Amino acid sequence: MINIENVTCRFSKRTILENISLEIQNHLCILGANGSGKSTLAKAITSLIPFVGSISIEGEKSEELSLKKRAKLLSYIPAKLEIYDTFMSVEEFVLLGRFAHKKSFFDYSKSDKTIANESIKLLKIEHLKKHAISSLSSGEQQLVLIAQALTQQSKIIIFDEPTANLDPHNSKIIAEHIKGLKEYHQVILITHDLHLASYLDVPVVFIKEKKTHYFKEGFFDDENLQKLYGVKFKEMSVSYD
Amino acid sequence: MIRALIWSVLIGIFLISSFVGAVDLHLKEILNANSLDSTIFFELRLPRVLFAFFAGSILGLSGLLFQTLFRNALMTPYTLGISSGAVLGAGIAIKLGLSTLIFGIGAISLFGFMGAIFTVFLLVYLAQFLKSSQQESLLLLGIALSLFYTSALMVIFYLGDAMQNDTLIRFTMGSLSIIGWSYPLALGLIAALVFVSIFFYRFELQLLSVSEEQAKLKGVNSSRVTLLLLIVSSLGIGTLVSISGPIGFIGLIVPHIVAKLYPTTVASRIIKTALFGGLFLVMCDTITRGIATQSELPIGIITAMIGAPFFIYLIITRSSR
Repeated sequence: MINIENVTCRFSKRTILENISLEIQNHLCILGANGSGKSTLAKAITSLIPFVGSISIEGEKSEELSLKKRAKLLSYIPAKLEIYDTFMSVEEFVLLGRFAHKKSFFDYSKSDKTIANESIKLLKIEHLKKHAISSLSSGEQQLVLIAQALTQQSKIIIFDEPTANLDPHNSKIIAEHIKGLKEYHQVILITHDLHLASYLDVPVVFIKEKKTHYFKEGFFDDENLQKLYGVKFKEMSVSYD
Repeated sequence: MIRALIWSVLIGIFLISSFVGAVDLHLKEILNANSLDSTIFFELRLPRVLFAFFAGSILGLSGLLFQTLFRNALMTPYTLGISSGAVLGAGIAIKLGLSTLIFGIGAISLFGFMGAIFTVFLLVYLAQFLKSSQQESLLLLGIALSLFYTSALMVIFYLGDAMQNDTLIRFTMGSLSIIGWSYPLALGLIAALVFVSIFFYRFELQLLSVSEEQAKLKGVNSSRVTLLLLIVSSLGIGTLVSISGPIGFIGLIVPHIVAKLYPTTVASRIIKTALFGGLFLVMCDTITRGIATQSELPIGIITAMIGAPFFIYLIITRSSR
């Protein structure tokens, strides 16, 4: 559960989000045009960027949470992985999800490694374990990122445009995994992929002109989409089922 | 195979290093406590080899640290102007004729350390104005600072008398020639401090080697870790530079050589980088003493002449995992 109250985000002199209040109790899809502030909202929730107002996660004020505590409560999966250390293997990278859980200054424990291995199995990427992250395709990287988030064992998982760089086949695989996560995690999905959003079948928040619009249902009607995006829609075909 | 070969050559040179120099030593004489050979061995050669080892370790570790913290292969205390800051600090102390001790610490060392730490804080302050993605700009700031410090040092040269200038010129060339045990012991302690701090934070560094965003999201207090490790390594670099003058190239190439030999995570390369840096500098120093010239070659010339070709070779023959 995330509670956003009167949050305003400015980037130099531009206001991206203005006085937004939103209570995210369960799964949610965040949509909006390019530059509408979707990722900005996600980054405010994860405290990667400064904001005015108050955000609380699982009842605790964001600014009072330690970084480790926050990491235990929520994980954030970026659209594209940027990694400097080109030698790190998939196995080693997934294990990093345990950082907030392990004792400071001590090595990752056996159970940490077991949890990381289970996540790798769940995502069916065991064959990539020893490969360097930098050698993977975008689709494989997205799977590795999800495995890392699962290893982090946080209640809330935020996906930031998970299918943005993927072909339809890989998008489908990712979509199925995200849907599967709904059972044990609170999934917050930021996307332009309307197919993915409707496939996930959760309430939608649309960000337009610095404000949020909440849709429990009826978001994917052609007329509604046309009104919001300003483009003609004709029976959105849902392909992931 | 290549790893074993490189390590055995380095360790071999380390072991014979104390016997290399202008004066040939004989084992029998060394064991005789009252002989000249013994004095040369125990008061000059052995302390110098250990001093070079600790110096190389500090330089290698600082290079690894800077490259990881800033996620850029060119970041070292040298390229960021931190050692130039130390040189200028030490230069000011020499110019002012300060050699007395302040609270038991040599004034030149203290000024060197202050020059290094001042530069670190200046860089941290200036980095606020950069976007987090602009690591190149930080490097440019470092280069600008280096140039500024060098000019300031020129002013000191210009104003200095011949005696001071001679000291200064020799100092800026870099030299590992020391006498007695106080320097190696002091530097050994500081090298241990640098190593322990970096080793303690190895898992934080591993996350920072992915990206700052990932590190924060996984629970690393990145600004605190960065600042703390920068201060510790500036202490190391500042002290080292104020004793030996600037020694280039080691901080840049050693972490890369170790990474090419062992393509694994940063955390597992820390010990290897410390050892390799130490042994590598001992090897370079052994060469300066081994080449018979009227006076010793400055160490920086050797590190660059061995380092640069080897570095180029490693870059063009990329190893794969």
